[in-house]
Amino acid sequence: MDIQTLFFAVVAAVAILSGILVITCRNPINSALSLVMTFFCLATFYVMLDAPFMAAIQVIVYAGAIMVLIIFVIMLLNVRVESGKKYTHGVLIGSIMAVLLLFEAFYFLNRSSLTGARGMIDANVVQNVGHVELIGRAMYTDFLLPFEITSILLLVAIIGAVILAKKKI
Amino acid sequence: MLTHHSYLILSAILFSLGALGVLIRRNAIIIFMCIEMMLNSVNLAFVSLSKYLGNIDGQIFVFFIMTVAAAEAAVGLALMIAFYNNRESVEVEDLNVMKW
Amino acid sequence: MLGAYLPIIVLVIVAALFGLVSVVMSSIIGQKKPSPVKLQPYECGCEPVGSARERFSIKFYLIAMLFILFDIECVFLYPWAVLYKRLGLFGLAEMGLFIVILFVGYIYVWKKGALEWE
Repeated sequence: MDIQTLFFAVVAAVAILSGILVITCRNPINSALSLVMTFFCLATFYVMLDAPFMAAIQVIVYAGAIMVLIIFVIMLLNVRVESGKKYTHGVLIGSIMAVLLLFEAFYFLNRSSLTGARGMIDANVVQNVGHVELIGRAMYTDFLLPFEITSILLLVAIIGAVILAKKKI
Repeated sequence: MLTHHSYLILSAILFSLGALGVLIRRNAIIIFMCIEMMLNSVNLAFVSLSKYLGNIDGQIFVFFIMTVAAAEAAVGLALMIAFYNNRESVEVEDLNVMKW
Repeated sequence: MLGAYLPIIVLVIVAALFGLVSVVMSSIIGQKKPSPVKLQPYECGCEPVGSARERFSIKFYLIAMLFILFDIECVFLYPWAVLYKRLGLFGLAEMGLFIVILFVGYIYVWKKGALEWE
């Protein structure tokens, strides 16, 4: 077991534990902070996978912006502790479905092999060219149309959220 | 030895945890956080496959998934606030006005 | 590759240890003589007024929501800025279109008064 595998195992354990805390905590604030921990673990994995820019974006967008919004909403609605029951009445069926989903994924992953269009990008290329530049080259040439459509998605989100959240428009 | 397999299995575990949370919790905000966790596990699968295939396209998809997640957060939480203003609750079992 | 991140790991470990040690040590060796005045939340010497668990105003949500969406716009600007010289006029045009579409949203938000702290 080399040091990288050991590191992976430790961070993966933290990620799964905080994931379990997200769905078991009674207080939504605790769930939100556990989710931030999961996001940081995923950022660590992105660094291990030679994608440092993705790690930075993960921290900036998820841990920095989306979680701030979620925590604002929790404080806005002031639902600190759930009244009464924590779970729906479908706990048993829900758990069975989730376990089935997990086993299905394990089954297919064990039978699978890696296929798909292989590229030229490896750790050395990322080191020499720079990850941000590699991302930019693909984004602003091959993925030009999705990039422009993204702006329309953001425009719709801005308008929708303002209409829903503002009391008198 | 660390391969794409380890990352994909971790991604599957996180996805199932998120699905479990969506299925069993009552609080709509926690359900929302579980959806974010599922999106993140998919991101992990994309980035790991992108590395082990040596192809950068998967990471572009992660970009777009993050954009969708942000747009979803803005609109979804605004919906939750609108619901709270009407029903004084964020529990999904109170979302029963359109139930037949 | 990962060796370059060793300082960050060391920093995280030191920061976690510092927080942990200072909390644990102060609870072990500190004296505990609680009184109602000491148990009040510290607010720069003023006496606290009302509960700290009040509902927040929806104004904060609107600002945070706009922050997220324009934060995403900034994230798209990073790779573009790195590649600016290589992309040339074409890159300027595509990013111009992107920003103009989002600017429409900004004008909308402004005209609807969502930016005003009423």
